[in-house]
Amino acid sequence: MKDRPRKAAPAPRSTWLAPLILLGMGGYLCLLLLTGNINHYINERFAWLAALAALLFAVLGLVALRSRLQAAAHSEPIQTSWDSLLICSLPLLLGIFIPSRALGIEAINGGISLSPVGVSSAASFTRDPLDRNILDWLREFDRALSPAAFDGTAADVVGFVYREPSYPEDTFMLSRFTMSCCVADAFPVGMPVQVAGAGSYAAGEWLRVGGGLQARDFDGQRMPVLVADTVEPVPQPAQPYLYP
Amino acid sequence: MYRTLHLNKALALAIAAACFLAATVYEAARADLAYELVLSVFATRFLGIFVEAVPFLLLGSLTSGFIEAYLRSEEMLRWLPRSRLGGALGGAFLGLVFPVCECGVVPVARRLFRKGMPLSMGLTFLLSAPFMNPIVFASTYIAFGFGTIFVARVFITVLVAAAVGWLIGSLSNPETVLKPMPAQEHRHEHHKPVSFRGKGLRALQIAAEEFFEMGRFLIMGAAIAALMQTIIAQDSLLELGTGSVLSVLFMQILAFILSVCSTVDSFLALAFVNTFTTGAIVSFLSFGPMVDIKSTMMFAGVFRRRIVLYLVLLPFAFNLVAGVFINLALGY
Repeated sequence: MKDRPRKAAPAPRSTWLAPLILLGMGGYLCLLLLTGNINHYINERFAWLAALAALLFAVLGLVALRSRLQAAAHSEPIQTSWDSLLICSLPLLLGIFIPSRALGIEAINGGISLSPVGVSSAASFTRDPLDRNILDWLREFDRALSPAAFDGTAADVVGFVYREPSYPEDTFMLSRFTMSCCVADAFPVGMPVQVAGAGSYAAGEWLRVGGGLQARDFDGQRMPVLVADTVEPVPQPAQPYLYP
Repeated sequence: MYRTLHLNKALALAIAAACFLAATVYEAARADLAYELVLSVFATRFLGIFVEAVPFLLLGSLTSGFIEAYLRSEEMLRWLPRSRLGGALGGAFLGLVFPVCECGVVPVARRLFRKGMPLSMGLTFLLSAPFMNPIVFASTYIAFGFGTIFVARVFITVLVAAAVGWLIGSLSNPETVLKPMPAQEHRHEHHKPVSFRGKGLRALQIAAEEFFEMGRFLIMGAAIAALMQTIIAQDSLLELGTGSVLSVLFMQILAFILSVCSTVDSFLALAFVNTFTTGAIVSFLSFGPMVDIKSTMMFAGVFRRRIVLYLVLLPFAFNLVAGVFINLALGY
């Protein structure tokens, strides 16, 4: 193969697109950071990486713009193939035209895990029981000797409603996605909640549930079940995922 | 001829779009969801992988740009080991000099090949650097401490990467391995700036071109990975993951599909520590950074098709053997 002429003689329009896409990506990342929507995609402790990327995009975009503006004079503009430009604009198009959403009930693809994800940090065990989230509780359950160990302990957790046909009528699963790094590794976990009129809560609805733990049979297994005293609809939390 | 090249690319993109549409429509019907919801789940997964990976691709593109602008071939070649085996072993530790992860390593490796780096060394660097660098050492240490998994990960990565690099390096020569370089680079040769500032600007300009050149493979890889995750249930893989051999096999397939960045895959692997054998965890950690969907796409932009196949299958097979060995012979 010899040199590819399409590289040597690109359409002039495409060289304007390159700086536009680079600056657009930087702008898009800034927007995610400013609106907090970045939490829909990556673990918050990696948000600084997105900020770094926005900065680098801005620098590269400006260099590309400069080389395009001076193209007529002496230096050569940045050259890219049309398919690169098309494919590289895909994240921008999806980011702009599809409303930003966190993974929710639709993303559950075959069941919810009742076991904790990741190793437990010592901090989660010394936490006040009422401050524990669903993941903290699953860790507690995992290291307890018997499901009855928590009988009568008060709990107060936030999650969304998930249901399978096999569940008893008065029970649903209060669920959250855990996320270690980005949504690629998001994993749904949940704890069963027992409440009269459980069927009246829509699947996917965010709830804050307060009550006491009781060992019950659920899905063919004896485990702590949250018997609800109060159930209160809440908006989706600003950080929709739990970080292991 | 160039017209047909354009047509072929357009056709390939159209087929990819059609496959995407068919898969998402099928998933919407199977899961009984509105089509917008499936599309929204896909978009979230895709953008998640993209946002997490793109800083590393940018850093890799910049490194590549600066290598092109500042590193002189003759200088580099003087420092490199002469023998093939020495090159392969040296390549395994080159990540300590160029700390890049799997999204950044491909442009850097390509640039080093262009500067005259021997095949065996460059290929070993390509496979090992995503783990063998200070950043990923740190994240692995934070996740697992300095124990069996850390040591095994280093050991297996060096061994497998050097073996693959040495093997392909001794059986082929650069012309049969690398795709021809795009014309862009010949173009730059004609008016090399000499001033330090001029070189810096040139490095940035090459980095921008590199971003588009490599970014398309990252983006296609992220799209395929997100699509797979949207239509394949993760727990269907997890359920199959017991036994000394099967667990290793499935963790490697999982690593391939998930395409998580090597800088953070240790934290993800923690999630599987209780469910999977030690060999499977180590294989996940050593195979994942070498090969996954998005890096395979990027390989395809640099190497000829046959070599891409070797670069996927050989590490897969070698890591599988290593993982099973840990499980059976060492009894973890």
